[in-house]
Amino acid sequence: MLLPDTPLHPLEHGQLKAMRLSAAVFWTIATLVSIGPGFGLSTAFDWFPFWLPPAVIGPLGLWSVLYATPKRWARWGWAWTGKELHVASGWLARRHTIVPAARVQHIDVTQGPVERMFGVATLVLHTAGTANSEVDLPGITRETAEEIRDAIRDQLTVDPW
Amino acid sequence: MVSEEVLEDLDDHGPRRVHPLTVVIWFLKKAPQNVLGLPAIIGITSGRGLGWIALAAVGIAVVSLVWTWINWRRFTYEVTDSELVIERGLLNRTRRSIPLERIQDVGIEQGPLSRIFGLAEVRVETGGGDKDEAVLDSVTLSEAARLRGALRGAPVKRASVGLDQPVEDSLTEVFAMTPGRVLLLGLFSFSLVWIAALATGIQFLGDAIGYGWDEIADLAETAQGEVQSRLNYSTGFGLFGLVVLLGVVTGVARTVLREWNFKLRAGIGRFRRTRGLLTRSEVVVAMRRIQLALIQRGPFRGLLGWNELSVQTLGGSNDPSGRQVLAPLARDYEVAGIVEKAGLPPFERLPLRPVAPAHILRALVLAIPLPLLVIAAALLLTPFAWLGLILTLPPVLTALLQRKFHRYALRSASLQVMRGVLAQRDWIVPVENVQVVTLRQGLIQRWLGLVTIDIDTAGASLTSTPAVVDVVLEDGATLARDLVAGIS
Repeated sequence: MLLPDTPLHPLEHGQLKAMRLSAAVFWTIATLVSIGPGFGLSTAFDWFPFWLPPAVIGPLGLWSVLYATPKRWARWGWAWTGKELHVASGWLARRHTIVPAARVQHIDVTQGPVERMFGVATLVLHTAGTANSEVDLPGITRETAEEIRDAIRDQLTVDPW
Repeated sequence: MVSEEVLEDLDDHGPRRVHPLTVVIWFLKKAPQNVLGLPAIIGITSGRGLGWIALAAVGIAVVSLVWTWINWRRFTYEVTDSELVIERGLLNRTRRSIPLERIQDVGIEQGPLSRIFGLAEVRVETGGGDKDEAVLDSVTLSEAARLRGALRGAPVKRASVGLDQPVEDSLTEVFAMTPGRVLLLGLFSFSLVWIAALATGIQFLGDAIGYGWDEIADLAETAQGEVQSRLNYSTGFGLFGLVVLLGVVTGVARTVLREWNFKLRAGIGRFRRTRGLLTRSEVVVAMRRIQLALIQRGPFRGLLGWNELSVQTLGGSNDPSGRQVLAPLARDYEVAGIVEKAGLPPFERLPLRPVAPAHILRALVLAIPLPLLVIAAALLLTPFAWLGLILTLPPVLTALLQRKFHRYALRSASLQVMRGVLAQRDWIVPVENVQVVTLRQGLIQRWLGLVTIDIDTAGASLTSTPAVVDVVLEDGATLARDLVAGIS
């Protein structure tokens, strides 16, 4: 925790499922695709077994889906203090972003197909900044996202810069 | 009287076209590749004679002129009470309207061709990030002045109130570069990178005309081989001297072209900067759009007490990364004067506090491994590679000094940060201009209990930001909290 005196809400459990599903799909495709180069390399070099690339990538995917994804999910946290939105994330390298409501230019609530499947939504805050011109808060319910959006909307200033 | 003219002109609504001579400028700009290049390439590749090429060139020139003229006919602009409307396009008519209150800067630029015809390019900047949002290329100088008055709003109101004071009179000179200073800046701008660009340019030209760098290099090589047998070291030093001389000359030439007759003048709520030898450019920086001030010192000019002052405006300006130089080479007191004029708090070094002592440790951890790896790899080839250890000295020394030059403080409604050993940078960031605050912690920082505070501002570049790197976790949390509390 980078800001100990700001208590953070965890993400919805639906988000963990969504992240796992996305990771599983990604790693399955990666494993299947890696068979191709495996065959190519095994014909080029006699000593190269064709099953090596998938045998490396497959377990890596399993590790990601079963271990790393829950870790990453657990490191997410958010808080809406009424004046600013805190979004914390990162398992190994951590980051904690603070967006003052008065500096928000416009707000999106988005929901992709996977997110809709698990009943979660992403709140996207746009600011006039450069590196952090877009701050995403995924994995909250649509109702929460809309609540925060309405609360921020009431505080938008006419001239944020 | 000037103001009456302005008033009269402002009443005259209705769409206008840019100056007719623009057709000639546009045509001349495109001529080298269209009128000369294309027929020549087709003619030579298909093995036709000079006559055919000349005929084709004339044909293309006529078509190109007509096309340019049609485009000119179809390009109109109009300043109404509330917006600037630009219409263009032959079949696809595009109508762009820019609300006057969204316009931030109005820049006027004169290229060599425009100067010959007494015209200027007017560039309207709204901060939308799109570089070509609204460019009127080209209008007469008086029309450019009228447009600037009308678009910036202020003079319109002044005129309607009845103050018949010419607008120019309210501008006072804040900073100017003497020719001597421009030359000095040119010497500081010595750059070998520029020589590389020159070399690629020669290469490129050589490819086009079939005789170039390779042949020159061949020639040089044979000549060098001849000479080398006798004068080994002196040729080496001679070549080195030549390269250095080229670096100096290109640096000076580039600087003189850009910064000649640099003038910064200030009026009510705005700066106006004019500069340039061949291309005169004029840029207005609205003070309320200034996001932060940045004072930079290169290694040599820093030692001699010279600074460069620039301000970051909200994107969309002529310079990349939305940064406008207000003084390219200035003494401390001059910088302080401009900063005060801009309504920013002064940069004060003394009250700043250093970052955590472990910053040195992390700097070392980041600086050492790569050179050591390279040396280890080189050791496999030659036992003398340990001499490379000498080369690791500069990065190590820089790392050791880094904490001494990285200080910060949150004071008098502004965040002040200084960072950098060789190239030093001082930031003045008014707290109300901070957009997003991010605390970042990498793996090494977690072990050392450090945190980096990223401060995002409008129009910032991605590489050079007033971040506070490596403070103790508690201090970082306090800084972030105080910053955010200052915003809202």
